[in-house]
Amino acid sequence: MVQRRLLPWDYGVRNLFRRPSRSGLTLVGLTIVLLLVLVVVGFIRGLEASLAATGNPNVALVYSLSSAEDIENSAIPARVAGLLTASVRGIGQSYGRDHVSPELYLGTRITTENIRKPGMGLVRGVTINAPLVRDQVQLVKGHWPEAGEVIVGRLVHSKIGADRDDLAVGRSIEFDGANWTISGRFVAAGSAFEAEVWAPLAQLQTTLKRQDLSLVAVRMRDSNDLADVDLFCRERVDLELKSVAESEYYAALQTHYRPVRMLGWMVVVLISGSGVFAGLNTMYGAVVGRVRELATLQAMGFRRRAILLTLVQEATLLACAGALAASTIGLVFIDGLAVRFTMGAFMLEIDSLAIAIACGVALLLGMLGALPAAIKAMRLPVVEAIRAV
Amino acid sequence: MRVINLLAVMAMASSMGCGSSSQTTVDSQRYLLSAEPTGAIGIIAAREDTEDGDTLVIVGRVGGSKDPWIDGRAAFTLLDAAVTVVGDGEDSTENEMCLADCCASERIACTALVKVVDEAGALVPIDSRLLLGLNDSDLVVVEGIAKRDESGNFVMLANGVYVRR
Repeated sequence: MVQRRLLPWDYGVRNLFRRPSRSGLTLVGLTIVLLLVLVVVGFIRGLEASLAATGNPNVALVYSLSSAEDIENSAIPARVAGLLTASVRGIGQSYGRDHVSPELYLGTRITTENIRKPGMGLVRGVTINAPLVRDQVQLVKGHWPEAGEVIVGRLVHSKIGADRDDLAVGRSIEFDGANWTISGRFVAAGSAFEAEVWAPLAQLQTTLKRQDLSLVAVRMRDSNDLADVDLFCRERVDLELKSVAESEYYAALQTHYRPVRMLGWMVVVLISGSGVFAGLNTMYGAVVGRVRELATLQAMGFRRRAILLTLVQEATLLACAGALAASTIGLVFIDGLAVRFTMGAFMLEIDSLAIAIACGVALLLGMLGALPAAIKAMRLPVVEAIRAV
Repeated sequence: MRVINLLAVMAMASSMGCGSSSQTTVDSQRYLLSAEPTGAIGIIAAREDTEDGDTLVIVGRVGGSKDPWIDGRAAFTLLDAAVTVVGDGEDSTENEMCLADCCASERIACTALVKVVDEAGALVPIDSRLLLGLNDSDLVVVEGIAKRDESGNFVMLANGVYVRR
């Protein structure tokens, strides 16, 4: 009967507590490995989510033909917004306003009260139409900016490297030689707008001594109507315009950042691989120290397969505990951390996929880490193993 | 006949969105000419010599842009047949240009937007690849009316298109 039995489940659990320091150290090592996996997956997921949330398939961006793909370099006549409204059918409307947002968009150095070195920030000159086109934007504190005022996205502090408190409502920031009071704070469903400062278009134009626009964003009632915006741009060649669906624009950026994402996934694989090797090392140490115990179990009549299963169970339990600890740390301390990148800033996203990947890696670590050491220990003849010191 | 029916069905399907019950049936043969019109001129000549409202025939190659098509509309850009397209950023001589943004201004002089319109002058709401069976770089002869404005923009309102195969 004994020969067919598996070792009791709690034998493996109790074994973990018999060597608390070794188990503790292994747990810490596994937790760190899994936390690294979570951070990298959270980075990739956050970047993808930010770019996906920014592009609306019903919105067309109209900008300069000669600016390549860089809207910051675009300069188009200010009358384009009016011409589009008058010429293109299918533009959305609400509250008696057309969903046409003329905008000035630029990267500039922004200074806050306590910042040591001015940070490179993104400023968008907008009119009251902007939230009609960018419906992700929600003012969560303060009011819409009037003359001399700006509203800031919740990730601006990360983009310019400033303290979050420096960008509180009522504080001042400086850019392009003018002081601006922060009148409000906005969120934008995790999109790239959250790293931007929005200022009244007319005053920004005055400050910059510019009369042109960078782009006009148009929100159509139906995505099929985007063709009419494209048609307008090709018909009015004198204006030298081109139009692209906002979703396509940010999808192209996704493609642009593909090497970064691929690198991220490679890092996940490498970290997991190194974790497996670290686990192997630890398990070798743990099993070698228990050769006599394992041989005694064999002498008592437990089959090698049963003992092997217990060793895998111990390692998997430790790895799962590590996954639990890493996920808790990830959700409490890492989820939502802001990361700066060229297009603005985004938040690390420890979502269900990231946690599922971390748990999968933990299972892999537990099973692969224990198996080779256990197999090696089981190969020793019982008599020889019992004599081992 | 089967092609016409297919187009009618597809046009109906594309026009029936939420809250819309309008139906569009289009006979593509109405816009595809069976014989090549005579007296065709190139795009460059048409841009230089025609007035607003002139009836004319132009010849050119579908192109002049990385994407010469207007999705879901019977409109496309035509490039003067005498102009050769070279690779992006490559050195170009006279009558040569690339399709990158660096040649955007030069392209204006040798390209034209063609809009296939119905009797009422409204743009046909079907993709020209579907309506006329056009492909990139097809050499086409377009019959229609020139539309010009004070800013010098030139658009060809096409009544019929002949594809040189």
